[in-house]
Amino acid sequence: MKNKIIIPLMAASAVFVTGCGTNAHYVQTGGTQNVVSIGQINIQDYIQAASAMTGDLLASGALDRVKTPPAVLAISRIVNNTGQQIDTDLLVKKIRVALLQSGKAVTTTTFGLGGQAEDPLASGLQQKNDFMNDKNTTGRVDFSLSGKIIQLNARAGNTSQATYSFQLSLTDNQGLAVWEGEKEITKQGTQSAVGF
Amino acid sequence: MKTSIAALFAVALAVTGCHDTMNSVENAQKTGQRNMVSDQRVVSDTGLNRKVGVIGVNTAMTPGGFLRVQVELLNRTSSLQNYNYHFEWFDQNGMQVGGSSTAVISDSIDPKEDKYISAIAPTEAAKDFRLKLILGQ
Repeated sequence: MKNKIIIPLMAASAVFVTGCGTNAHYVQTGGTQNVVSIGQINIQDYIQAASAMTGDLLASGALDRVKTPPAVLAISRIVNNTGQQIDTDLLVKKIRVALLQSGKAVTTTTFGLGGQAEDPLASGLQQKNDFMNDKNTTGRVDFSLSGKIIQLNARAGNTSQATYSFQLSLTDNQGLAVWEGEKEITKQGTQSAVGF
Repeated sequence: MKTSIAALFAVALAVTGCHDTMNSVENAQKTGQRNMVSDQRVVSDTGLNRKVGVIGVNTAMTPGGFLRVQVELLNRTSSLQNYNYHFEWFDQNGMQVGGSSTAVISDSIDPKEDKYISAIAPTEAAKDFRLKLILGQ
């Protein structure tokens, strides 16, 4: 009888003790509750940079100047000149998705930097299709997208500041940069915080 | 005596009103005509509305056929205000479009500054918009 009371009590205490310290919860990605760190590019920075540059690119009308729309885009090198290891797809993929949804551009996954296809299987299928139909579709690329991400740090007393510069260039197949975009994000503070 | 009182008053003013406000100059005869749109507002944070108010909204189309929205804000206070904003876009059926591509943007506005924020619709299908303003830290 004693055991019947003690065991559930112990279990309840264990749950209470272990569950007390956790306050994990979901927040909206890129929303105002996201952590803001000075020495690091946060997800909201990538979203903001991608959104600003996509809007700028679409507004420029550069993608409309192709003979057969939508424009075909190849992704070139995005140089990481920050002091941290980053996956540039956090920026580039957002731009690709937005451009595809806009209907103004599609991205080739069978033609990439150094002849490396992003999707080798699709590349093989394309080559097979070209062979069977006696045509060459691999050459059609209207633009390439290249860029750089730069970090600039500054400090005054206890206050730290980091500026992240996102730079992109859209080059046509004549080798001319027909659109260039830059978005700078500056963060300042004494320590990282939650919320904007 | 009068001089010292005036000097004290000036010092007091300088100490209490230490935030610099914004001066600006612009051409009086405007070449461009803004296409102002009538707006519908929902104000839940009256504090923010008192501090940073929406003066006007105008729209235009980009050469590529995208809706471009520009909102004029005014900082009515004598201190720097931080705020966050976010545009949402809707198609002709009122359905939201481009949800993931629109970012919450953190910005600040100087005392008494009149400032424009703008955004471009993510697709040509976006015909309507909504701007959300939140007071920042």
